[in-house]
Amino acid sequence: MSVLELSHVTKRFASFVAVDDVSFTVDKGQILSLLGPSGCGKTTTLRLISGFEEVDEGSVMFSGMDMKGRRPYERNVGLLFQDYALFPHMSVEQNVAYGLKHRGYDKNLIPTRVAEMLELVKLTGFEKRRPSQLSGGQQQRVALARSLAINPEVVLLDEPLSALDAKLRQELRFELKEILGAVNATTIVVTHDQEEAMSLGDDVIVMSDGKIMQQGHPTEIYANPKTKFVAEFIGRSNWFSGRLGPAAGAEAREFETAEGIRMLVPEPDCGGGDDYEICIRPERIHIERTDQVQAQTEGPVNALPGVVVDIAHLGADIHLMIEIAGKRLITATEQYNGQTLEQAGQAVVLIFSPGDCIIVPAGS
Amino acid sequence: MMSFDARGYLGPFPPPEYSFRWYESFFSDDYYLHGLKTSLILAVITTIVSTVSGVSAAIALDRYTGPGKQALESLFLSPLVVPAVVIGFALLLFFALIGVFDGFTRLLGGHIIITFPYTVRTTLAGLVGIRKTLTEAAMSLGANERQAFWDVTFPLARTGMVAGSVFAFAFSMDDVAVSLFLTSPDTYTLPVAMVSMMRTNFDLTIAAAAVVLMMFTLLLIMVLDWFIGLERLIGKGVFRS
Repeated sequence: MSVLELSHVTKRFASFVAVDDVSFTVDKGQILSLLGPSGCGKTTTLRLISGFEEVDEGSVMFSGMDMKGRRPYERNVGLLFQDYALFPHMSVEQNVAYGLKHRGYDKNLIPTRVAEMLELVKLTGFEKRRPSQLSGGQQQRVALARSLAINPEVVLLDEPLSALDAKLRQELRFELKEILGAVNATTIVVTHDQEEAMSLGDDVIVMSDGKIMQQGHPTEIYANPKTKFVAEFIGRSNWFSGRLGPAAGAEAREFETAEGIRMLVPEPDCGGGDDYEICIRPERIHIERTDQVQAQTEGPVNALPGVVVDIAHLGADIHLMIEIAGKRLITATEQYNGQTLEQAGQAVVLIFSPGDCIIVPAGS
Repeated sequence: MMSFDARGYLGPFPPPEYSFRWYESFFSDDYYLHGLKTSLILAVITTIVSTVSGVSAAIALDRYTGPGKQALESLFLSPLVVPAVVIGFALLLFFALIGVFDGFTRLLGGHIIITFPYTVRTTLAGLVGIRKTLTEAAMSLGANERQAFWDVTFPLARTGMVAGSVFAFAFSMDDVAVSLFLTSPDTYTLPVAMVSMMRTNFDLTIAAAAVVLMMFTLLLIMVLDWFIGLERLIGKGVFRS
């Protein structure tokens, strides 16, 4: 049985529908990311699970038990707030012990449990410090220890890494995953940052306007977005809108963009007229100089001639801006392996197979 | 300095000799002592009532989110902007209207009204600085609303509450404008006594009385400092990270 189940949950604030018929389940030890722009309903979903808001329709169930009418302190949820919400007038030790005290732990066992939690987050020796005497990363670990100490059924993380600077973020992301794994915590991460969602989550749910747009493994979401919204929200992309033409071979269809560029694209999963939009990820485009085009191996392939307009070398990646068919700019990314860089004004050929294209119905 | 002047008249500054004669005169004058006693009792009761009601009002105001919040807030703080003389006169008329002629009751009412804005204000300032997530964190950890309030909100807002009560005490001890209207012949505060003495037989006992008046407020602050530490009391708030 899944530890957490949301079934057809709807929440309205006056006439505004914040969460619209949302259903999902989370299994023991799984980390699920709720990803979406601000105002998409992900934070409201979190508050519905933790009990700070009541559902209007549908149900929130913990291990099969309906949580309707239960106050936050009557549910067993560990919350990690974006601002950590450590009690500033209590020491690290008192902060971690707070939940244990109120959850009715045996008084004699509390110090042992606190020590155990601090060891888990590698903060042994910081017991007597005040939160204000800790760095941002340490504060977060105290907050994590505090929320895990009560052995919650579900751990909810609200934008866990967004308050930290980029360098620390990467370090803590790894640590966070390690700690959550060590206690086999069933976790929901709410975030607007796709990197955070995809690196932490075993599964990602993309939300927009209170609805679930798509759920799946991070790779699945990135490689096979079902709508333009999802494709655009995750990763960078080049978009073409146009009409689908006749089949070209077994796996490809002809496609003519609004600018009149012809290319081969994959067969769409879902029908619905002839109007589609094509997305090509910058890193899926292979760039060849016009004078060096090698014979292609097999299968259908797109080869669009273009001219380099701008080139930026950003460390490991090279970002190119290329004009194709004299009217359309697209971006491409190459990895830097010590090769000679293209020059602005140079003629190139962009090579990508139909499989490198993502096709979604127009207007989705 | 002048209160220690040994001369019997107002001479040029600095005084050639010093003495405690004006203090002796102060402490042997029943008129002053009676005023001091009234002032002290009044200030203590005012502080208690004003702090309790001010803190309650501030907490209610902080939680209340419905319409009219702004209006209520302004209403509570309005005695701050109305001149004290106007308040005093208005209260005199009001008390006469409802038939309250007892001097002490009138003074108490007046002092609570003028000190209330300070206790509301400072408590509110303390409460506003407390992030809502702290209460929510406490609740997610198993504390109910009341426990969360006593464990988290109250200790963090204490700074503001204490500052408010110090203000209340100081303003009650110090007030002349409102008290002047509300005193009765047998119930008057020390500052009122000083004003009337100043008009009738002016001597440096008034300077001694002023020092005594100051001492009480200072004493209160020192006692509080002793117990909780002054920087925690009115400082920027060690509790806020």
